Amino acid sequence: MDHYHAGIAVGLAAGVAAGLLFVAFLFRKKVLDCHFDERQERARGKAFQYGFFTLLISTYVYGTSDVIFGHWCDVLAGVTICLAISLCVFAITCILKDAYLSLREKPRVVMTMFALLSALNLGFGVMHGLHGELVEDGALTFRAVNPIIGLATLVILIVYIINHLLRSREEEAE
Amino acid sequence: MKNLRLKAARAALDLSQQQLADAVGVSRQTINAIEKGDYNPTIKLCTAICRALGKTLDELFWEG
Repeated sequence: MDHYHAGIAVGLAAGVAAGLLFVAFLFRKKVLDCHFDERQERARGKAFQYGFFTLLISTYVYGTSDVIFGHWCDVLAGVTICLAISLCVFAITCILKDAYLSLREKPRVVMTMFALLSALNLGFGVMHGLHGELVEDGALTFRAVNPIIGLATLVILIVYIINHLLRSREEEAE
Repeated sequence: MKNLRLKAARAALDLSQQQLADAVGVSRQTINAIEKGDYNPTIKLCTAICRALGKTLDELFWEG
């Protein structure tokens, strides 16, 4: 492994470690919480099932596309696309069944975090795009991971907000 | 099928869906889903709701 790839590996490991520490901190501060009621748990089980099968199918489609069309994206970016699609399926199913946030989570705080996460990752994506680092030799590079994550969190955020607005209107009508 | 008896019992005690949800430890959406007939609660939740509203299972959930 040369210095460039070792640097990438160390950077990724540091990023993952920082992310895990941040999530642990949020759980400790009770911003994130995992207490769901029985209806939510049932709905989340179904959503997890959909997400799991989406992951299986998308991974297979990604592998097949690489064989048929040739190398069109870096493996890390490809895997991230599959994970992002699956997570979106899971999250959107949960949101539509009112089972995304737990009993103690505050929607405004969690959605603000999603907005920040999305803006940060899309910002990195734009930066990489301006430097011409997103695509090399006609293939997406691993730097596309940031905009993919940013896009996924943005989709989840938009679906949450639309669903919230529609539900509020329905409840007012009732 | 809508559970109008639950809704009536809750309204009789002047409780909002959120207050009943807090009393039995579920989300407001779960109480709403039960009242609308979209969710069939477990016996554990049924008894918790009955206890919170001072009613019996027969009065709230049994379709006689």
